[in-house]
Amino acid sequence: MTELLVKNACVIDPLRGINAETMDIAIRDGKIVEEVSDAAEVIDARGMLTLPGGVDSHTHICGTKVNFGRYMSPEDMRAGRTPRRGPLHSTSGYSVPTTYGNSYRYSVMGYTTLLEGAMAPLEARHTHEEFIYTPLQDTMANTLFDGNWGIMEAIRDGDTKRVAAIIAWTLRAVKGFGVKLTNPGGTEAWQWGKNVSCIRDPVPYFEVTPAEIIRSIVEANELLGLPHSVHLHCNNLGTPGNYTCTLGSLGLIPDLNKKRQTLYATHVQFHAYGGSGWKDFCSKSEPIARFVDMRPQIVMDMGQVMFGRTTTMTADGPMEFNLYRLHHEKWSNHDVELETGSGIIPVIYRRKNLVNSIMWAIGLELALLTKSPWQCLLTTDNPNGAPFVKYPEIIALLMSKKYRDAEFATIHPDTAARVPLPAIERELDWYEIAVMTRAGQAKALGIQDLGKGHLGPGADADVAIYPLRIDEVDPATDYQKVIDAFSRTEYTIKRGRVVARRGECLIDGSNATFWVRPKVSENYDMGKDPDFIEKFDRYYTVRMRNYPVQEEYLNRNRCIETEARI
Amino acid sequence: MKVTLAMKPAAKSFIPIEAESIVPKNFLAGTDLSVWRGNRELRLDEVFSVSVEGDAGRAEDVEVVLSGETFRLKRVGEYMDGGTITILGDIGMHCGNFMSGGTIEIHGNADGWLGREMAGGAIVCRGDAADYCASGYRGGRKGMIGGTVEVFGRAGDFLAESIAGGTVTVHGDAGDMAGAEMHGGTLVVHGDCRRPGANMKGGSCYVYGTAQGMLPTFRKIGTVQHEGHTLIRFTGDIANRGKGNLFVKDYEYLD
Repeated sequence: MTELLVKNACVIDPLRGINAETMDIAIRDGKIVEEVSDAAEVIDARGMLTLPGGVDSHTHICGTKVNFGRYMSPEDMRAGRTPRRGPLHSTSGYSVPTTYGNSYRYSVMGYTTLLEGAMAPLEARHTHEEFIYTPLQDTMANTLFDGNWGIMEAIRDGDTKRVAAIIAWTLRAVKGFGVKLTNPGGTEAWQWGKNVSCIRDPVPYFEVTPAEIIRSIVEANELLGLPHSVHLHCNNLGTPGNYTCTLGSLGLIPDLNKKRQTLYATHVQFHAYGGSGWKDFCSKSEPIARFVDMRPQIVMDMGQVMFGRTTTMTADGPMEFNLYRLHHEKWSNHDVELETGSGIIPVIYRRKNLVNSIMWAIGLELALLTKSPWQCLLTTDNPNGAPFVKYPEIIALLMSKKYRDAEFATIHPDTAARVPLPAIERELDWYEIAVMTRAGQAKALGIQDLGKGHLGPGADADVAIYPLRIDEVDPATDYQKVIDAFSRTEYTIKRGRVVARRGECLIDGSNATFWVRPKVSENYDMGKDPDFIEKFDRYYTVRMRNYPVQEEYLNRNRCIETEARI
Repeated sequence: MKVTLAMKPAAKSFIPIEAESIVPKNFLAGTDLSVWRGNRELRLDEVFSVSVEGDAGRAEDVEVVLSGETFRLKRVGEYMDGGTITILGDIGMHCGNFMSGGTIEIHGNADGWLGREMAGGAIVCRGDAADYCASGYRGGRKGMIGGTVEVFGRAGDFLAESIAGGTVTVHGDAGDMAGAEMHGGTLVVHGDCRRPGANMKGGSCYVYGTAQGMLPTFRKIGTVQHEGHTLIRFTGDIANRGKGNLFVKDYEYLD
């Protein structure tokens, strides 16, 4: 039995409605408890800001796509080199670091739970293998269903239950957590050299539209009772004028779940563009934020862009090809059989570039204009908008008008005429930041009942203590102190152990992987469905019995069983 | 100040020595430096007989002379910004990486990556240079951006790959893919080479001998006189919408 007592912590715990109360946190055997014995080890937090461990609800850190980003950018490995030290492995890389690099840097920032944003089912083993080497965070993987042949056929036949059954079988087979749609239908169309321009374009051969795919999979997701909602990367990413398409997609979504949102729209910054081309490119964050304000069934994340070099990677193959034609640098394109595809290119976002400056403003506007912080979460779509190490700067930008104005003065001078950002006075407070970086993310992922994102008794003892007293620091003016504090925790506690202290990781941890096993009736077990089996044998290069990821690939196995209504 | 480093025969080993500390300015503070062999850190005087004559107040006045079996000595002169390094024999890989000033003179041959990503200064190699002389590095966009490299012998493959500035002159032949991915700067090969200027964007490449395996993606413009040579001028690489200039004395396409 190991016990730990964190004393005099200034706790903000939005899921329990606690806002800056000084209290003690008792921890026994990796869980938070009511009280511990006198023998417990004591950490004195001395009134420092104490939050539940950070949760990143959309990041790309593990899997074939990320690894290919590493392959194709050996120059990225010149940055961020640290030698091996004690139990720690050496690290390298900036936008696509090694797995340990990701894990240590996240841990130093107080993050303890990560969701890999896009895992191609066929290549799931790779993702799970890299999870094992991301030791200081619990992990889970969204699984791609945007171009799944079986699902598109079922949608064409109007059989939503079969859609649900295929999702259930696949999630169980690949040990996936949630359902991700990346440019639904578009990546399949890309395999025919085409794309879909918006939600009403039919996908070649299958003759279903993205709108039908989204609606049907949202229903299927609720039939299965999955903890997370459908996680949508809308069609038409990154093109001027795409905000109408985004509004159209969000408008498809009914309110089907009382506990959480029905749709998680990811990196919405990339989908909130106005104009008819790059010449009149402008921000349309206002209509999007107003639309989301009126619909509790939708949660989005920012997908904030920060200036500097990074690597873009997504399952949205056609979009990456368009980016390649803009930048004319390296490009990788990948096809995943009956499921999806992907593309990767390295990019540099520049302050002197008008389009990049507008993109930077849009992300911040979405967060500032959306009334409820529970509905707009803080991400950069790491590493697409920026590497996650930029989160502290984003927090400071959201908390300080002064900092935003100072930054605004350094970007392209024409930006002011294209974006509403300079007119926005709102400055987020500590509570709202806590929502956007952990509580809101845990709620959106549906993992608060599994003990994530809060500090109530029974929760996993994941705690981040930041070297900052909120009664002494005014974030509106002392933004540098905010950046410093959020860049480096005083203590990061994971499963009851101190894993990072003042910027240094201390132990080689061991992560847990969350995955979902929906319980479906015999009739909807796709493993016994003759048609499904026949199609599998005919079209996949892999035998059906070799396809599932064995449980040995999971370090600490946290299986979530759900009762499906099929 | 003259620092003489004579490699001790006992220090000879198949494991290369990483000697990025051998840079003129480091000797201003004395000779208490170290180098690495594999995972072992060695004092400079464990590897070399060190002797120092005179003293200096700035890097420009420091001359480092290396002698002995220095062919496995890597990264000599990395990030050097002034002064002189003279190597009496051969030198190992990555000599003069990132250098921005000063002079390196090599009396023997140089191994791969001589003057990689160099920004200024001068390198003279009296013997041959191996592959990737004056080039960029894996994945990088820009290679050499300034300075001069002169090789009196031959150069290996990928000579001046990704060069974006500065001048590279090779008096002998060069290998395959000379000036590949060139963005700017000047490359002069007095002898023959293969497939020069592949995918070039800008800059000028001169081949006073024969360009073998000449790429078909260059457009012929005409003949020009250049320093006493009559050269055929091409522009390209059209495959990359490039606007580079390629001048060759003679060329042959692949069959």
